[in-house]
Amino acid sequence: MTTPLADSPAAALGQEVAAARAEASPAWLAARRRIAWDAYEAIPMPSSQRDEDWRRTDISALHPERFTPIEGVDTAVVDAMRAQRDSAAPKAAFAIDSPVATPIEGADTLHAQGIIVTSLEEAAMVHPELVQRALAAVRVDESKFIALWNAMWRGGVFVYVPQGVEALVPVWIAHPAGGDDRAVFPSTVVVLDEGSSLTVIDAYASPVGLAALFSDAMVILAAGRDARLDYNTVQQWGEGVWHVAVQRTVLDANAKLRFMGVTLGARLQKVWWEVILDGVGSEADVLGICFGDGTQHFDHQSLQAHVGAETRSNLLLKVAVRDRARSVYGGMIDVAPTAVHADGYVANRNLLLSQGAKADSIPRLEIRANDVKCGHGATAGHIDSDQRFYLMARGVPPEEASSLIVRGFMDDVLDRVPHRGFAELAGALLDAEIAGGSGAGVAAEAG
Amino acid sequence: MTQAVLSISGLHAAVEGKEILKGVDLEVKQGEIHALMGPNGSGKSTLAYTLMGHPKYVVTGGSATFGGTDLLPLTADARARLGLFLCFQYPTAIPGVSTVNFLRAALRAQGKEMPAREFLNRLSTEMKELKIDESFRSRYINDGFSGGEKKRMEILQLAMLRPKLAILDETDSGLDVDALRTVADGVMRLCGPDMGVLVITHYPRILEHLHPDRVHVLHDGRVVTSGGADLARQIEREGYEPILGTAAAATA
Ligand SMILES: Nc1ncnc2c1ncn2[C@@H]1O[C@H](COP(=O)(O)OP(=O)(O)OP(=O)(O)O)[C@@H](O)[C@H]1O
Ligand SMILES: [Mg+2]
Repeated sequence: MTTPLADSPAAALGQEVAAARAEASPAWLAARRRIAWDAYEAIPMPSSQRDEDWRRTDISALHPERFTPIEGVDTAVVDAMRAQRDSAAPKAAFAIDSPVATPIEGADTLHAQGIIVTSLEEAAMVHPELVQRALAAVRVDESKFIALWNAMWRGGVFVYVPQGVEALVPVWIAHPAGGDDRAVFPSTVVVLDEGSSLTVIDAYASPVGLAALFSDAMVILAAGRDARLDYNTVQQWGEGVWHVAVQRTVLDANAKLRFMGVTLGARLQKVWWEVILDGVGSEADVLGICFGDGTQHFDHQSLQAHVGAETRSNLLLKVAVRDRARSVYGGMIDVAPTAVHADGYVANRNLLLSQGAKADSIPRLEIRANDVKCGHGATAGHIDSDQRFYLMARGVPPEEASSLIVRGFMDDVLDRVPHRGFAELAGALLDAEIAGGSGAGVAAEAG
Repeated sequence: MTQAVLSISGLHAAVEGKEILKGVDLEVKQGEIHALMGPNGSGKSTLAYTLMGHPKYVVTGGSATFGGTDLLPLTADARARLGLFLCFQYPTAIPGVSTVNFLRAALRAQGKEMPAREFLNRLSTEMKELKIDESFRSRYINDGFSGGEKKRMEILQLAMLRPKLAILDETDSGLDVDALRTVADGVMRLCGPDMGVLVITHYPRILEHLHPDRVHVLHDGRVVTSGGADLARQIEREGYEPILGTAAAATA
């Protein structure tokens, strides 16, 4: 069920919607949106023939102009997402990314600490300097999809933690979508001031099924000096969803990011997990798991950009693909000349569960500084028959043995996730998926 | 008269197209302790894997029954559920699967599930007996374990699963003297009327602890001679040469 907006008849993505968005925005944002829309129109759709970045991910069947922005939220999806919050982080504040103003649930503790949790739209009006500074991390015309996001986003969630404040409870952000041929522009902007800390769970979900949806998402995370951010994200779109997202973090001196990404849903996704280690001594641990089946296509691109000296980053993405699912991974460690003594590692491990499943992995290093320690690793393989035999020799039936091995493969990552509630949720979603269910979409009860 | 729990007759098996077992005859009665010795490459591990049902080992002739049930058509998990257990010569590491989760899954599969509290208590007790540190509970199976730790972990599984017959494939190799005693005591504690053992070994030392009822010598894929505990001591003193010479003469 959706809550319709009374004012305007639904129009597909285009000039008209872009103009309306600019109109409804404060002047600074309106200007930005207009530039963005022009850029969107000027930049051609990425092509697997022309663009090296898109060579392995074919989106020729995606036509953004066929999608109409959602005008309300699917309450059944929101309920399912809230239930996940209830089990994984019951104390977390719950913020819904909605085109309709929606109160933040359970934010009293955070508000009492002086923490701002509100819609990005609201923040753009009330705290324009904070939002402008955060948005500066992304150039409006960086890419076709970034330009479109800038022109079209609505609602969104904004969090600001003031200097020295350690948030007592996490913020759980829900980006729901529903309907057919609908577009969403999920938006998360989190700013941590000096010496503050926060845990965020950022969740994307739509109903189980093949409904065609288009998600063009943006996540901007900024951690000031000595700040600590634990960011967890789960992508659980239904199997008809096109998902393109940039999730970018900028770290100031000695700031620490712990990032955990769980990718289960969508028909096709291309996401960029990017960390800019700007400040001296900043650190990032990026973890990810991805499980796919059917004909799902996953594309993860990661960037560990070392700019400051003495920066450290470590990334591990584990992928399991079954049936004819396909994974593409590109990981880059970029070390600027200023990043002396940088320490960076990137690894991608793939488990192929069917003959028809496929995984490509291209980790790269670009090192322009002296005295750094950087490395990468990539592997792909099938379930080890000796491991399976070992388990079977103890009485475990073959299917369960395989499940244990797959779960074990992923637990190696889940065991390192600091937020145990989130790790358990991810584990449960994974178990359901391994057992043959689909991790794509949430079971949303109608009515 | 006690029944044969394991009965092997004329067993032939090949691995990767090469015949390794060339007519093995062997019988282990309920609760007995047997030792299987033989030179490197004679086929001892091959026999163990073949009995356990490793898919790489293809039976090309003969029979093997367990408690009267034909083992050969069964997959490894079904054989384990009948009560057959193999202590691996080279246990496999499974990163990500914790010892606790693995043992629970195995017990459940074998219909030997118990309440969580009882399980943890029993695990604790068995670990103490085997001098295995508590931290191994949550460690991934055999992942980064030393050779000796792996062997002890095999015996821990044996202790938790309580099979009818355990095949120990060189469980005594690579153990220091104290560990050997711990492991041998562990096995002694477990075997009895309900659990028989087939010990594959190169050393009579473990046999001094276990007092086998029978000792068999495997050579070139066949059991060429069998005897009492004395046979192991003779092998220790004189090597396989005299025995294999006699056996060769006997078959000639
Ligand atoms: N997978 C395999 N591929 C090819 N040959 C094999 C394979 N496994 C075993 N063999 C061969 O089978 C023969 C018997 O090996 P097996 O491991 O059973 O010997 P063993 O008696 O256990 O020896 P050891 O005392 O050294 O453990 C050897 O010649 C070995 O090379
Ligand atoms: Mg051997």
